[in-house]
Amino acid sequence: METGVTHSSPATAHPGKWIARHAVSLYPILVIAALAVFFTLQNPYFMTFDNIMNIGRQSSVLLLVALAGTMVIMIGSIDLSVGSAVTLAGIVTALMIDDFGPVAAVAAGIGTGLIVGFVNGVILISLKVPSFLVTLGTLSILSGIANMICGGSSIMFMDMGLTDFVNAELIPGIPNIILLALAAAAVLSFVAFNTVLGRYLFAIGGGEIVAANSGVPVERYKVFAFMLSGALCGLSGVLLTAQVGAGTPAAGANMLLDSIAAIVMGGTSLSGGVGGPHRTILGVLVIAILSNGMDVTEVSSFTQEVIKGLVIILAVASTMDRRKYAFIK
Amino acid sequence: MDRRPPALELRGVNKHYGPVTALRSVDLRLERHEVLGLIGENGAGKSTLISVINGTVSPSEGQLLAGGNIVSLGSPADAARAGIATVFQEQGLVASLPVFENILLGREAGFSRGGVLSRKAMARFAADVLNELGIAIDPFAITGSLAFGERQLVEIAKAFALGRIYPVEPVILLDEPTSALSDAETQILFNSIRRWRGKASIILVSHRLSDVFAVCDRVAALKDGTVNGTWPVSEVTADTLHEAIVGRPRSAGYYKESEQREDFGEIVLEVRDLVVPGQIEGVSLTVRAGEILGVAGVLGSGKTALGHAITGAVAGKGEIAVDGRRLRPGSRAAALAADVGSVPAERNSAGVIGMHSVEWNLTLPSLKSFRRWRWPVLSAKKQAGVTDDWIRRLRVRTPNRAIQIRNLSGGNAQKVVFAKWLARGIRLFVLDDPGRGLDVGAKEEIYALLRKLAREGVAIVLISDNLPEIIGLSNRILTLRAGKISAELAAPAHDKPAETAVVTHMV
Repeated sequence: METGVTHSSPATAHPGKWIARHAVSLYPILVIAALAVFFTLQNPYFMTFDNIMNIGRQSSVLLLVALAGTMVIMIGSIDLSVGSAVTLAGIVTALMIDDFGPVAAVAAGIGTGLIVGFVNGVILISLKVPSFLVTLGTLSILSGIANMICGGSSIMFMDMGLTDFVNAELIPGIPNIILLALAAAAVLSFVAFNTVLGRYLFAIGGGEIVAANSGVPVERYKVFAFMLSGALCGLSGVLLTAQVGAGTPAAGANMLLDSIAAIVMGGTSLSGGVGGPHRTILGVLVIAILSNGMDVTEVSSFTQEVIKGLVIILAVASTMDRRKYAFIK
Repeated sequence: MDRRPPALELRGVNKHYGPVTALRSVDLRLERHEVLGLIGENGAGKSTLISVINGTVSPSEGQLLAGGNIVSLGSPADAARAGIATVFQEQGLVASLPVFENILLGREAGFSRGGVLSRKAMARFAADVLNELGIAIDPFAITGSLAFGERQLVEIAKAFALGRIYPVEPVILLDEPTSALSDAETQILFNSIRRWRGKASIILVSHRLSDVFAVCDRVAALKDGTVNGTWPVSEVTADTLHEAIVGRPRSAGYYKESEQREDFGEIVLEVRDLVVPGQIEGVSLTVRAGEILGVAGVLGSGKTALGHAITGAVAGKGEIAVDGRRLRPGSRAAALAADVGSVPAERNSAGVIGMHSVEWNLTLPSLKSFRRWRWPVLSAKKQAGVTDDWIRRLRVRTPNRAIQIRNLSGGNAQKVVFAKWLARGIRLFVLDDPGRGLDVGAKEEIYALLRKLAREGVAIVLISDNLPEIIGLSNRILTLRAGKISAELAAPAHDKPAETAVVTHMV
């Protein structure tokens, strides 16, 4: 209900109000700028082309995983299984690559993610279990399956075709993995705002009942959201395996929390309906710059964890649109 | 009159929500041991006023006195200490707890010894309160197992318990207590209220004049956020109150009776032997193109379920056909494929997505028509064009199409709900309380719109709590009682039935 909430008054040309209304979009940019200036002053190497490409390489996979999570958070649900899905897809890819070739391995990796997403979605709508709990379950299941397949150790492979492709530079100086991640972000941002799929996902997150009343096949599109998430996790697993040169059972371990932090910092509300993939790019940049910057300024990894946590809390506290705050469905 | 100060006094209370004024310089007195009726239309400010009194809403200006003492505003705890207790429509009881725990919920402090609650003492206390009030309910019964009316009595007992814990006489706010009660339950409640007169002061909020005449001493009419007059019940007529609530004698123009169609097209909606377990027990009806069928009934009569069954939100047994094609029960998709549009009663939770723009809300049901050459990509230009066109045609007052719809007034948001269906094109329109929360002017525009739709051959099912609205707009009125059609009344423009004629079939 709207009772007691003051709304920013609409359609004013006043610059102060314009800033107030766009605060959610502007904050991450300000945070990024502030961090960049700070780290550059500490160590000028930070602002070099080489290091910026480093940041890109380090955060490409995180960007894909965060985009995956965004598609689900847009509908007001949450996918906790992203990290495990990445791990499993990476293991499957590594397992396939020598016997069936890179193309089949990529298809199998993405296919694995797609199936995971489909299963998540179907459980959600058929058993009516909240997504938080469904994916908490599959998080554990997938991680178990991944470990069963690889016996707890990394899976190596000989065929370097995929690895070479990921590191190659279609545009000189920029590794393909960065291009891939940015392309995915661009496509998803377009999809979110300019297709029936994207608008239906926003509508479901904004008001499921309204969406259903307006003819949106809510349940089908919820499954679509999870399948999109799964497919992106699959792709992330493939790329991670290619980058590392092996399928490892801990590949996706830290992805979940970093991706959720990035999504929310970007401005996509955990309760759904607002934000979108374009916002997530900014959130990922904050985390990537922070990690890289602390590396180049030689902050110890333990201190890094503490600082990262603090920045996440501060950033979310200042960017979150509290009018939209509610429990995760 | 009593020499002691009034039980409750409001002085110059104003409440603004942004640009919207919910209450305007309200002055109100509740004498000791009085039953004061508070009546008004939906949106007149009754709920806001109750919330101000019980401290859940902080007014923009004004003063509240209880027993002559100033009560700090916007503090439910202080209101409770002053003995003010509210019995809400949607009940504030925990269903899984026994009655005695509910009666003492949040006030257990006095029953604790070293942090351990004495359930025995609590039960004894609750039994005492129930006895004193003559309420025959077992304090150990699980609250959820009681009938709705019984639970309401438990809530009232809870209010009286308050008066024992704090040494004050309770001021009880009954918010629409009868709307969900059967006739017999209403009688029990009223008898109880009469019995308790010497023990409490009561404000009874209702939109039913019959409640006021049955049990109140005085009545205050609320209209557009101000008190439009108070009268001793013995000296006032229903017509006077009606005029005070609506703001003017009911004019023929308000509901555009002159534009009412009397000749209709082919049958659009046919419902045969519809059963929704627990809610509808066999309803059959037809609606023709250009006809407005009014559906009246009290809460629990099944009128809401009827609307839901037609729009596919709930599955019923029996047959629902639109333009001769049978709809799959419980399928919104099927209803939409047959061009059935709906305006839900709960506009903010079921009608519009508040955080989304006017454009996104308006285009949602017809989104697929904005695809380019059936490509998945939507045409931004076409969406903008259609949205602006409907904003203009329905005179939606909005700065632009991109603004979040929650910034619009209720009337303008409601127009967008209409527009989203008109942009899609509909054969049958199911409206549940379309005037809810709208001011008189906005209502009039919505009514004119309905007339226009009828003229264009849309079949309309109008479900409403607002009797004058149903009578004024409908060609025909069905009254529902306990899930069955209790009467069918013709309502031609020149010969509208009286409200009492409709009410007799509802209760």
